[in-house]
Amino acid sequence: MKRLHPAIARCEGLSTFGLPIGLGVFILVAWQVIVRRAAVPQVILPAPTDILLSFDGILGVLAHHAWASGSESFVAFILAAILGATVAILLSMSKLVYEAIYPHMVLFQLIPKIALAPLFTFWLGIAAPSRLTYATFISFFPVALAMMTGLARADANALRLCRAVGANHWQTFFAVQIPYSLPYFFSGLKIAATMAVIGIVVGEFISAKEGLGYYILYAGSRGETAHIFAAMIVLCAIGLLLYGVTVMAERIMQAWWRG
Amino acid sequence: MASNFSEPVKHLARVLRGTPTFGRRVVLPALVAAVILLAWEYGVGLAHLPLMIIAPPSAVWDVIANNPGILMQQSLPTIEEAVLGFGLAASLGIILGTSLVLSGSLQKAFYPYILVLQLIPKVALAPLFIIWLGVGLPSRLWFAVFMAFFPVVISTMTGLMSADRNAVRLCEALTASRWQVFYSVRIPYALPHIFAGLKISATMAMIGVVVGEFVTAQEGLGYLIMFATSAAETPLVFAAIALLCVIGLALYGSVALAEIIVQKRLGVSITTSEF
Repeated sequence: MKRLHPAIARCEGLSTFGLPIGLGVFILVAWQVIVRRAAVPQVILPAPTDILLSFDGILGVLAHHAWASGSESFVAFILAAILGATVAILLSMSKLVYEAIYPHMVLFQLIPKIALAPLFTFWLGIAAPSRLTYATFISFFPVALAMMTGLARADANALRLCRAVGANHWQTFFAVQIPYSLPYFFSGLKIAATMAVIGIVVGEFISAKEGLGYYILYAGSRGETAHIFAAMIVLCAIGLLLYGVTVMAERIMQAWWRG
Repeated sequence: MASNFSEPVKHLARVLRGTPTFGRRVVLPALVAAVILLAWEYGVGLAHLPLMIIAPPSAVWDVIANNPGILMQQSLPTIEEAVLGFGLAASLGIILGTSLVLSGSLQKAFYPYILVLQLIPKVALAPLFIIWLGVGLPSRLWFAVFMAFFPVVISTMTGLMSADRNAVRLCEALTASRWQVFYSVRIPYALPHIFAGLKISATMAMIGVVVGEFVTAQEGLGYLIMFATSAAETPLVFAAIALLCVIGLALYGSVALAEIIVQKRLGVSITTSEF
């Protein structure tokens, strides 16, 4: 990589960070001014300051619902990660099993599994277990599928080399296939992180007495649009936190594997 | 007894090994599907599970065969929302992605936001669309567009930026204009990315439509599922889910088909690795 002149480098940095921040500020200010000038009713679109102020009375309620949604999303995500990796490893043990099951996994990935949400409440009731199972169910497929793809794509030359130097099946598996599959596993995990939150929120839409999805629906029915936005901000924070944790875990894993 | 059982299995394995592509890729998964359907059908009966908890495939088929009218009536709005929603999201996404890439600095300003919007649970905004657009079709349609829009924008931007630098430089050296470079280099390089984005977008549009129908509860297969669940009519729930799967797979299939046609036209075979 060519080294840039310091002044140009500063300019580059300014445009990669300055431009997005500038745009963000511009949008917020425009939003505020337009809502105030056009006297848009709060129910339709509250101004950014209205949203900020609306946090004031509902902080406790919001924290309660955020904990419900956040902890459930996290547990579902971890369960999906463990189950996805385990199932992928088990199915990849035999080529016959892999080829028999793989197309079905792809099919399951493509169908609108969201439609199954009401069935889970029907089977498991309206409490947390049904939402947890549903969120685990929909975030399981990206992990399992990505891991299966990764295990199948391990470098053929590396596998042959291992066999040539007399490594047994297990040694090859742990020394070659698992490391090769890790990047795929993590890209599956990143999709699962968003799917877990989607699963919990949709579960809360359908039937719940707590959680941010329930709260958003409740605020919507009362026309408290500012509260919808406030809850949405918290929900985004949860989603990004889960995604951030995955990215961090990926970095740590990469550093550890190289060392 | 054991050898009797293992003999056909061994024979099957030999047959499958003999015809690697067709046998393994088509027959084997089809066999698994058949076994699962049979086990489902007879397992439900043997375990004496009530029809209300889980419906066997034959009961689901009965519902579809006996109520084509009501299922068709609820399918039409769902199909309309899914097709229109996906179409709008695809065209708007490609237009926005392309104009952002063409405009240099706007791209830098927007990119982080589009990336973040891709990651956040947008599904939670469904009630907002009801407030803005009511409980009718427009609100479900625009919610589906909102859900399906971002993958297309991101993939269009990534694709247009992924053009081989050497190819671009070669064209410029041959005094190709900016538009010529765009048409003959950037777009062909972008197409596999755009199609990968469109495939994600097709599934997201379905999520948007179904969640929209859950929340507005007016019409469509999503509404039918909610209604049938509350009435404990499980076979009807399964029938509606089966139809939704058909619609979702048809939408995805047409994108995949369009990709193959475009690749044939351009004379390139680029495989996108998606899972």
